[in-house]
Formats: sequence, structure tokens, C-alpha cells
Amino acid sequence: MPFRPCAVIPTYNHVSALNAIIARLREEGLPVIVVDDGNAPEVAKRIEEICDGKEGVTRLSHRKNAGKGAAILTALDYASRMNFTHMLQVDADGQHDLSRTAELIELARKQPDAVVTAEPIFDDTIPKARLIGRWITHFWFAVNTLSLRKTDSMCGFRVYPVETTLQTVARANIARRMGFDTEILVRLRWGNVPVVVLPVRVTYPEGNYSNFKAWDNVEISRMHAKLFFLMLWRLPVLLAARWSRKRDTSRHWAGLAERGSMAGLWIAVILYRLFGRRVCLVLLSPIVLFFFLTGGEQRHASMGYLRRAWRAGMLPREPGWRTSFRHFMTFGGAALDKFAAWTGNISLPDVDGTEDPHLYESETSGRGSFVLTGHLGNPEVIRAVASLTNRSRVNVLVHTTNAVRFNAVINRFSRSSSVRMIQVTEIGPETAILLQTAIENGESVVMVGDRVPVSEGGRVSWAPFLGEPAPFPQGPYILASILKWPVYFLFCLRHGSRFRIYFEPFAERIVLPRGDRERVINAYARQYAERLEVYLRKAPLQWFNFFDYWRPGGLTPPADMPSSAETMEQELSS
Amino acid sequence: MDELERRIRHLIVETLNLEDIAAEDIDPEEALFGEGLCLDSIDALEIGVEIQKTFGIKVDPQDENLADYFASVRELARFITRQKGLQEQAI
Repeated sequence: MPFRPCAVIPTYNHVSALNAIIARLREEGLPVIVVDDGNAPEVAKRIEEICDGKEGVTRLSHRKNAGKGAAILTALDYASRMNFTHMLQVDADGQHDLSRTAELIELARKQPDAVVTAEPIFDDTIPKARLIGRWITHFWFAVNTLSLRKTDSMCGFRVYPVETTLQTVARANIARRMGFDTEILVRLRWGNVPVVVLPVRVTYPEGNYSNFKAWDNVEISRMHAKLFFLMLWRLPVLLAARWSRKRDTSRHWAGLAERGSMAGLWIAVILYRLFGRRVCLVLLSPIVLFFFLTGGEQRHASMGYLRRAWRAGMLPREPGWRTSFRHFMTFGGAALDKFAAWTGNISLPDVDGTEDPHLYESETSGRGSFVLTGHLGNPEVIRAVASLTNRSRVNVLVHTTNAVRFNAVINRFSRSSSVRMIQVTEIGPETAILLQTAIENGESVVMVGDRVPVSEGGRVSWAPFLGEPAPFPQGPYILASILKWPVYFLFCLRHGSRFRIYFEPFAERIVLPRGDRERVINAYARQYAERLEVYLRKAPLQWFNFFDYWRPGGLTPPADMPSSAETMEQELSS
Repeated sequence: MDELERRIRHLIVETLNLEDIAAEDIDPEEALFGEGLCLDSIDALEIGVEIQKTFGIKVDPQDENLADYFASVRELARFITRQKGLQEQAI
């Protein structure tokens, strides 16, 4: 599609600079969309006077004020229908240095898949409080995307690729008010849309006031907290993407982005080094509490799991909301551990069990290994520690519901030399061969055995787990049978302030005889569930599957499995 | 074509350790999966792996018509011939 840029000015109350901004953008040859975001009648009338009858200017109106994000979305939607490929966003308050418009557009033309955003260089006119506010947002942006590149996510002077942005918005429930500027950039970054940065001077004209009100602060905090929690889940992927991006310097704009951009992450690392994990956990606790209070589904899943664990004798007393909150906090702590491990704050001496003969053998034999793990404890700690000493590549098989976004990340992985992510829902001959070659070259293949396929009709085995049948994926055993390689079972649990690796042989060779496959696979799934329970007993709160594990996505056990009601009756009668 | 079909039949029997069936017994038109030989999707994956290795062609797991290519020995032979042709064109 040919490059067709337009510009949008979301307008709420600021109209004094509007005429000049439109004129300037028209000089650049850009069609202009002005969104009247539910202004009071007199302001709306003023906007109408400015816009209507001007060539190349379109006015769109919200009947009620819906926020900047909503205004941008309205414009994006319109731009898409009018076949524009890119949209420049300009604030109506005249803060942006419009002399740089042509440069922004040119960068977008050169990298049509990227979002091009201006990095502000503030002159002395900016009020101090605003500067600090902006810096805090910076920090959060860096934490949320684990980005080492600094961009002013608040700046709002940027060019969006229209279709990519619309797709990103469609997938996520994005803040419609002032949080939008930051969130959309974070989401795009997560989707591996490159961010190109152009430095631009920003001035605060006298007599101007900002729409940045107390309400916005609340919403921005909420948005950051939401993103932070999502980030915990995505941490390994983001870290790895960051690593592969390091090698990929060609996308950077003049290398300027790296400058001083470590600040946010540095502070996190320094906090961790100076005060340790405990203080970081305390800092984290309000965020965890927020999610505990608002994440009904996760809380429900946590309680469901804890009750079963209690009935299985893993917990000393009947779990209540306190135990559930501790469960959430343990998850927050595990996220910290991942972060600490990747930044070199957890090293080999902190980890027990590394001299395990099985592990030693598999590390030194030069043979690759097929490793089964799960969402218990922190297997990533091993990966981080191992990558410091051992250079062999690790292939991690992941499930994801969002193939498009993930594949972009996977593509980057394949260029990185240490970790490669492969989506298991799509295992075919191609992937099997790739893994076979990898394993023959001494690389490892890691797969989780506790997440069932996301696709409908995915292969599932039901096995008793904490006294009730739960679905387990068949994929790992099928793949192992095709790879014809020994299978190991691995977990890494946190005990007090130390980590302990558990590594044991799972099966020397998995053979699935024709005609008897289902039964043999079911037996392996049962073996997995049994071993999982053994380790779960050592650390019941380190179970990090925050969804209805026994009935994910409405799956129900086959008729010949005892239902949960029957199991409970048996329990009561025994 | 006959030579290719012969190789595919041997490949299937050897890869899957079909003890009770000789390569020559497989009818090139016979359905490999479901009825006929009664192979399943795991077998398909194994055959796919072997075919890729032996004939140096790509088998895309996302191709919607994959099941058709693997329907019978004859279909597989057509698929391999076509893929090889495509790859040579690409070079």
C-alpha cells in the first residue's frame, strides 16, 4: 500500500492555537482531522468556524467528552476508512514543535511498520511538578516494557501506523483518557512494533493550562498498575525480545535512543541491590493488593486451587483470603526473582542442587535434553543462571492465544543465540525437525506440561490432580516420542532465601505404540501430575496458574472419569 | 512417478514400524488416515518429518490443505513432486 499520511488534532478546550496548527500542517501537505471531543457548545462552535470550509480539513465530533484516547481512536477509524496508512498525532495546545513534522513523516515513510514518536527536550518553561510527573511515567514505561530505550510516552507528537494500531487497540482494552498515550505505546511495543525516536523541543506557552487533572492521575496510576501486572506474565518474553533487539541496532534511530535510557531499570536494580528483595516486595505489595482486589477471576482461581491443596493436606489450615493474598504476593516475588536473575542479581551460589548428577550429566555430555517443566516455582531462574555459564541454546515451547503478536517475537528469537521460543499449538513436521536438529546439536528443548492447548480440539489427557481430574496436554509426550530422546523433569523452587533445582529423569524413551497410544499418553500425563504434586507439596504457594485449572475454557472430563462431585462424596464417606 | 511412490511406501513402513504390512501391500490410492491404513495424526507428523528429511522439501504445518497432501501415497508423491518443482524455481 502506498504511504498516505494524515494528521489528527484531538481537541478539548484548547482552541487558541488550533488555527495556527492546522495552517502549519496544511503547509506540510497533510490532510487534517480535527476531533471535537465533546466540547461545550461555544467551544464546539469555535472549532466549527475554524475547520469548516477549509480544504483538506475534516471535523469529527464526539457528542460527549470521551477522552484523548477515544478521540484518537475515532480518528484512526476514519483514517483507515479513508485509506490513510499513517496518522500524525498533534496536541491542540500548541506545545509541539511543528517544524519537525516533515522529519517525523519522513521517518515513518522509511519505516512504515514503526511508530515514530518525538522525544521532548524541555526548555525552562516547563513547571517542575509536571517534569517530575513525566519522569515517573517514564520510569513506569521503562519498567513495563523493560525497554532500554527512552521515549517520552507522554509526548503525544507521533506517527501511528494506522492498521497496526487499530489491531492493537482491538485486542486490548486500552485507557480512553489521558492514559492512552502511554498505554498505546506500551502495547505497540509489546506487539514488537518498532519505536523510532526523534528529539523535539517542547515549550509550555504562557497562559496555557493542561487537561492533565487529578482524575487523570488516578486513571494513569490504574493503567500503570494494570500494565505492570500483565508485564509480570510477559516478563520472560520481553526480556528476551530486549536481548535480541540489542543485536538489532539497525532499527534504532541514529543510536540516540540508548543514551541515558537505563535510568528506570537502573533504579529498580539499585533498589534490589541496596535494600534487597524484601524492600522491593514491600514496594510491590500495593500493586499486588490492587490486583488481588480487582482481579476477581484470578482470586477465584487462587482460592479454588488453595482449597484443593488444603484438602490434599498441603496447607496447615483452611485457606482464607489471607492465604490467597500470600499466594498473589508469592507470584509478585517470583516476578522479582526473574528480574533479579536476568539482571545478574542471583548467581550460582544462591542455587542448590546444581551438582545433581543428572543435571551435571545432561549439562556436560554435550547431548541436548528434552525438559518438562511447569508453572511451579521459577524455572527461569535456572535459565538465567545457566546462561551465564553455559552457552548452549535453549528452545522454549510456549502456548499463546495471540499467535500474530507472538510470532513477531519468535522471529526475533531465532536471531538471538541463547533462547528461542516456539509456539506449540502449531507443531508440525517443520518444528519437529527443527527441534530434532537442535537437540542433536546439544541444545535443550523446554516445554511445560501443565498448560493445555488453546486451540479447540487440542489433545488433552485427564489425570487426577489434587484429588480431582484435571486436563494435561498430550503434546509434550507426542513430541518426545518423535524426537526419540530422553525426557527430564525440572523445577526450581524457592526455599527461604535460596533456590533449589530439582532435576530428575522422566522417561528414557517415550514410545507410543500404535493402537495403544491414548492409554500410554494418559499414563505419562498421570506420571507428570503425580510428580507435580510431589513438588507442589514442597512449595504449595509457588503454583502460578491463575485460572480455573481443573476446567480451563469449559473443558470437562470424559464420562468415565469420576466427576468432582463423586470425588468429594468419596472423601466425605472415607 | 512409480519410483517415487515406491520410495514413499518404504518410507512409511520403515518410519512407522508397520510390522504386519509390507511396502508393496500399500495401494497408492488407499487412504492412509482414517479408514484404509488407519494411521493417526501422530503418524502423520512422523511421516512429515521423514519426508522433509528424505526429499528435502518443506512441509508447512499451517497449510490448510495439508490433510489432502497426505491423503494417500499417490497424493504424497504429487505433493513432493510439486514442492521440489517450486523449490527449483525459487533457486
